[in-house]
Amino acid sequence: MFGLSFLSPLFLVGAAAAAIPIAIHLFYRRAEPVIDFAAMRYLRQAPVEESRRRRLRELLLLALRVTALVLLACAFARPYLAGAAVSSGAATVVLIDTSASLSAPGQFERARARAAGLVRAAPATDDVAVLAFAHALDVIAPLSADRAGALAAIARLEPGAGATRYRAALARAGEALGGRGGRIVVVTDLQESGWDAVSDGGIPEGVAVEVEEIGGPDANLAVTALRVDADEAVAVVQNFSSRPAADQVVFQDEQHRLGAVPVALAPGGIAEARLALAPASRGALVASISDRDGFAADNARRAVLDGGSAVSVLALTASGHPTEALYVERALAVAQGAGGFRFHAIRASAFSAFDGEALDGVDVMVIAATEGLDERGRGRLARFVRSGGGLLVAAGPDVDPAIVTQALAGIVATSWRVREAAALGFAPADSRHPIFRPFAGAGALGQVGFTRAALVEPSASAGILARYTDGTPALVEERTDAGRVLLFGSDLNYRWNDFPLQPVFVPFVHETLRYLAAPRATRSEYLVGELPGAAGATPGVVQLRQGRPGAERTRRVAVNIDPRESDPRRMSIDAFQTGISRLQATSAQAARTEARRDEDAQGLWWYGLLLLVVSLAAEGLLGRRLG
Amino acid sequence: MTAEAAGRGAELRFLDPAILARLGTLELRARTVVEGFLSGLHRSPFKGFSVEFAEYRQYLPGDDLSTIDWKVYARSDRYYVKKFEEETNVDCHLLLDISASMGYGSRGVTKLRYGSMLAAALAFLMTRQRDAVALTTFDEAIVTMLPPSARPSHLRSMLVTIDRIALGRKTDVSKPLHLMADAIGKRGVVILISDLLDDPAQVVEGLRHFRFRGNDVIVFHLLDPAERTFPFERAARFRDVELGDELMAVPSIVREEYLNALQRAIDGYKRDLGSAGVDYQLVDTSTPLEFALMAYLSTRVKRR
Repeated sequence: MFGLSFLSPLFLVGAAAAAIPIAIHLFYRRAEPVIDFAAMRYLRQAPVEESRRRRLRELLLLALRVTALVLLACAFARPYLAGAAVSSGAATVVLIDTSASLSAPGQFERARARAAGLVRAAPATDDVAVLAFAHALDVIAPLSADRAGALAAIARLEPGAGATRYRAALARAGEALGGRGGRIVVVTDLQESGWDAVSDGGIPEGVAVEVEEIGGPDANLAVTALRVDADEAVAVVQNFSSRPAADQVVFQDEQHRLGAVPVALAPGGIAEARLALAPASRGALVASISDRDGFAADNARRAVLDGGSAVSVLALTASGHPTEALYVERALAVAQGAGGFRFHAIRASAFSAFDGEALDGVDVMVIAATEGLDERGRGRLARFVRSGGGLLVAAGPDVDPAIVTQALAGIVATSWRVREAAALGFAPADSRHPIFRPFAGAGALGQVGFTRAALVEPSASAGILARYTDGTPALVEERTDAGRVLLFGSDLNYRWNDFPLQPVFVPFVHETLRYLAAPRATRSEYLVGELPGAAGATPGVVQLRQGRPGAERTRRVAVNIDPRESDPRRMSIDAFQTGISRLQATSAQAARTEARRDEDAQGLWWYGLLLLVVSLAAEGLLGRRLG
Repeated sequence: MTAEAAGRGAELRFLDPAILARLGTLELRARTVVEGFLSGLHRSPFKGFSVEFAEYRQYLPGDDLSTIDWKVYARSDRYYVKKFEEETNVDCHLLLDISASMGYGSRGVTKLRYGSMLAAALAFLMTRQRDAVALTTFDEAIVTMLPPSARPSHLRSMLVTIDRIALGRKTDVSKPLHLMADAIGKRGVVILISDLLDDPAQVVEGLRHFRFRGNDVIVFHLLDPAERTFPFERAARFRDVELGDELMAVPSIVREEYLNALQRAIDGYKRDLGSAGVDYQLVDTSTPLEFALMAYLSTRVKRR
């Protein structure tokens, strides 16, 4: 069922103009003169109208005029058919927080009791639905009058390991109302971090949101990170309380307890627990604490020791000495280890002799020099790119465009040549590109000064990601079948520009190399909810399939709870309701946007105008007949 | 009006009926019309048709005192009475329709007023010709009836009667016609002045009745100019002056059909009355009365 709505309902006021012909009809309808006439005998033989019939025609004429005016007003009001059906009857939606922050002792029992109480107290005429939410929302009892079913569903609920996401949950709960009026009662601990996540959605107008606060522990200890640093397991423990705390971190692999490391934490403090691992350890690693008062779900964290989690970067330099790619190496060094980068540099002339198996583990190559890159090396480079490897060419003084062009012939058509020195800046062509998204605009990048730059001549299929201030391309992307090639039109080693000295250099290098490595992404840790399916919904170590069909490979990854969920700070109900107001405003804005889209797509106002023209034509014909 | 009459009208000193209507008394109006008309006749084909001769003889007891010529008595001191060769020529019956529809007039002169002036002029003319004149007014019934007489005093009372005519009710021409036809004893001339807004068959039947009784019948069919041309422009509610009911009509749409219906009625009257030996004269109330008088005299000539 569809309802007619209007984009600009104020124009409907114009329909009041329909009162004008009505008034004229009512008060001036005897405007025709009355003529006394004698020879009516003959007039009656002519096609005259009886007064009653005439009045009928006048009413029809009036209706046409009123219709024309109303249609005009309606056309200006931009009508559209709203897809959401508005059902009758009120409803109560009980929205239970099952995030990890409700895993403190006794906390979820209170939540269940409150939710059950709400279901029982709901007005008898209301339908009731029970929804559980954390990072996602599950309908555990759909909207119905079945109270017993709803209570049974509540009784079966357990706290999960997801992170609180109020915005998405409320939006979905609003949708669950199916256009009905009613209320949403949120049973939650009011965790402050629940509003952090940015996501779309809103609450429909006419829906009230109430809060049943469960409360939670004031103190919590959590293992917020676990990584492997040079054959050492490092667990980060954080104290979310105003009191000092002490615990011990127990490290385990899949079969054995590896050891325990005591930690002492200042109020609000962070401590690392390190445990030496056997060389080349593989498998899963778990670091856990025994915090009994805080949230249970964040007492353990998992990591995978299989390696490959860091992006492997191989740089070709003139001599193979790391200082020839010093700034890139230093930039990557700040993110060594799991989730970071592993950097190697070799001489370009030695690339042809580089270990083939080792090259398979390389995600991205950076070409900082080409001197000595022989034919075999060029062939290996081409194969590397064809196999999906990422390639960053820094078109600096040590890179010969002819060698690179020849090496990548048939793969990449973009070329460049050296040009005269000139003072340039650069800015992203599209700040939404994954490389530039973290910079939130071009402001910081604008600080980079170039004294010399290559004149890049992009191919027709190339994408220009950034431009110099003279309009020439500064960063060009070529996509191959499986991988990506980026050509940066200057060097990255503080010779033609001051880029390496700018604060934006490190994130630029990180984002660029991660972007290039994305086709071979080897991330080894995910947060609960990030992976699809049941495997991604609970903390643990899961098998992950990757690759193209027929060339799939399986690897193990760790799934941990979102560290933000460990923060027990709560907001007030007022602050929560303020957030609701923002959601409602967002919802209203989203509804307006959707309405505009619907109206544009439907274009009903055209039909209104067409009917208006038809009405006016009929009015003209009938009016002429009435004289 | 015939083309012949219209041609003659240019030579005659005719008065617009609207102007005539503004003259003082009905007698003056009748005299103005008739004398103007008769002066024009000196050059007309109706020469030689005049009033009768008179003689004087000595008064004898039993004579009407009113016939004594007192001027002769003053001169001769003897009583003489005027004797006429013939008292009257013919009985003329004026039948005037005074129904409500006759009250219609678009240019100041209503059909009733025009008919009244026509009746008065005819009465005046007939009296001058020593014809006895009778007057009957009617709507759906006979309202007034004056018996035939050729005396001047009768003319005066007739003019007074005509002058005081008030509009009647709805038209029913046939019923009074039959009554009148039965009431007239001596054969004569019957003149009907009416707008004939009645069932034509019944009107014709009534007039046939007069013919059956041996009367010459003249019908003056009065039509207002607006009735003849339907000159209205704007859509209007046309109210029946007799019945009061209204019809909504757009003149541009109904005009042709209306005029056709009117013409069919006129043609029907001409045909049916002609075949019945009745003189039919269509009179537009905007045309001078003399044309109607001309039509009357034509009938009289034919009768002689």
